[in-house]
Amino acid sequence: MKRISQIKQELFNAVRVGWFLAYHHIRRSSKWTTVLIVFIMTLTLLNLVVVSGLLLGLITGSFEAFKESYSGEVIVTSAPQHDYIENSQNLISYLNNHPNVKATSVRYVAGAQLLGTLADLPGKDERPNKISIRLVGIDPTSEEALTGFSRFVVKGETLVEGEEGSILIGANMIKKYSSFADANIPGLDLLNDVDVGSRIKVTISTTGGTVIKKDFRIKGIVKSKVDEISTRAFITDKELKRLIPVNKEEVQEIAIKTDDLYAPILSNEIKFFMGSYSARIQTSGEAIPSFLRNIETTMGVLGNALSSFALVVASITIFIVVFINAVTKRKFIGIMKGIGVSPIAIEFSYIFQALFYGVVGSIVGLIITFGVLKPYFAAYPINFPFSDGILVATPESAGIRVVILLVVTLAAGYIPAKLIVRKNTLDAILGR
Amino acid sequence: MIRSENLVKKYGNADLELTVLKNLNIQIEKGEFVAIIGPSGAGKSTLLYQLSLLDVPTSGGIYINGKNMSVLPEKEKTEFRLRELGYVFQDYALLPELTALENVALPMLMQGLSYSDAVLKAKVALSTVGLSEKLGNLPSQLSGGQQQRVSIARAIAHGPHILFADEPTANLDSISAEPVMEAFSELHKSGQTIIMVTHEVEYASKAGRIITLKDGLVVSDKKI
Repeated sequence: MKRISQIKQELFNAVRVGWFLAYHHIRRSSKWTTVLIVFIMTLTLLNLVVVSGLLLGLITGSFEAFKESYSGEVIVTSAPQHDYIENSQNLISYLNNHPNVKATSVRYVAGAQLLGTLADLPGKDERPNKISIRLVGIDPTSEEALTGFSRFVVKGETLVEGEEGSILIGANMIKKYSSFADANIPGLDLLNDVDVGSRIKVTISTTGGTVIKKDFRIKGIVKSKVDEISTRAFITDKELKRLIPVNKEEVQEIAIKTDDLYAPILSNEIKFFMGSYSARIQTSGEAIPSFLRNIETTMGVLGNALSSFALVVASITIFIVVFINAVTKRKFIGIMKGIGVSPIAIEFSYIFQALFYGVVGSIVGLIITFGVLKPYFAAYPINFPFSDGILVATPESAGIRVVILLVVTLAAGYIPAKLIVRKNTLDAILGR
Repeated sequence: MIRSENLVKKYGNADLELTVLKNLNIQIEKGEFVAIIGPSGAGKSTLLYQLSLLDVPTSGGIYINGKNMSVLPEKEKTEFRLRELGYVFQDYALLPELTALENVALPMLMQGLSYSDAVLKAKVALSTVGLSEKLGNLPSQLSGGQQQRVSIARAIAHGPHILFADEPTANLDSISAEPVMEAFSELHKSGQTIIMVTHEVEYASKAGRIITLKDGLVVSDKKI
């Protein structure tokens, strides 16, 4: 028992003296050296948090865009092998009265063909200026409330409620605006020589086999990094319902806006409400295509690989700094041992110094990450072809990286100190 | 109180071996001020390192109060040095980032004294060597003589039984060396056991006993 208390006391003294030595060393050492080491540690943490955060952010940005531009937090669509959502009108009433639902957008979707040239027939060897497209009937007011639809209009104007004869077309379906126009992909047809104000012919084939044709004026071009906007065409729901005898029950999509945290609960509530009625009910995260999930995983692996390189560089840096520090002070380490300062106290002093650099570098890195970079990339996302890249950094993930950095720093500080401290005391004093 | 018994210290290997101390037998009593002198290579410093437990003998032993200290593990020797021995090194050996006061307080903090008690004792020790006005000075802000007196204060602050000094005036001019030797004399008067290595006969004469070494052997041992 006495032995344990003695060990505790020795350890306490060693920690106290280690802290005493480290504190005075840092306080009175070169400010520029300290700033340089802290700067390196800050860059290391930024490398750990920001590089992987940006890689993930490219994908997460597309997830966010998918949610903000199309699905809302929860989306109900027709089930596989079904043409529409069953019991949709009751579901819409339920959602409209739900206290946690902020907005809904009910969409009617039909397959259609757009013919871009009304007057000229194609030549013998030419394909007609025609594309197949998903034609979506929307209520402009509720769609605006859910996605801010008008922000996608890059040319022309958005639809207004009840409007007839006007159509909005996704930019990726028009040669002039499409990102794929120069790709020359076999089988990919784009509308040629049409723009806002052009007249096009829309052909809708109903499930009953009826073919409906009508001329529309292109009122606007909509563009987004979400395909569900850029590859579709939009008319008002009233017009679509009038053109084809759509039963008001035959809804294909209901996008719902709620709180992020409430989305899974609402999804379950809707499933419970729907019971045996057929529909696919998904949160935004569940609705995201699996290939994007795979890319997210790949990006995560890449981020971790790059981070591990950064970690190795940081540990080597700290190792070198502490090693040089300890080597140049080898004589003083010998003297301290000579006058009775225990080796473990000297080792603690180097550990505390390394931890100081790690902690201060991490704090500065966190301030830069959460105070500067994250708000900056939120305000000015990276313009990636299929997403607006943001910086994904949560306190939890950053905290884990800080802990990893500190553990590595601790080891990188301890090992060189141990190597030097264990040398023979007299040899150290005499510089042998 | 402290004695060496058949003390041998060799350096090198079987091919090239140098015997620095050859069966040395000396005994120093409590309260003595002993100067060890001799030409370069006589083994003065080697003997001091042996007596102060900083080095391990090739054979023979160092006995303090009857106990063979040479066979103790390094950890126990460090602990013993901390509590019972004091050191004054030739080149002062002060930690550059600690003030005079902090340098002196350091061993006492290691002993487990509270910071305030360690600082109080350090102030007393610095006052003893006449440096009350230089408590907050870093070593770089002190002259060589002042640094050596800080080193003495550090060595005596915790009340060691034996004070070892390795050429304490070697790096000092005569003006700076004088107060350093004065400090040793005062400590001796107060009953401190002091073992000092020096090559300067003038300073050795301040001691009460002079041991002269040559080629690793005691050639003279005189009480003054």
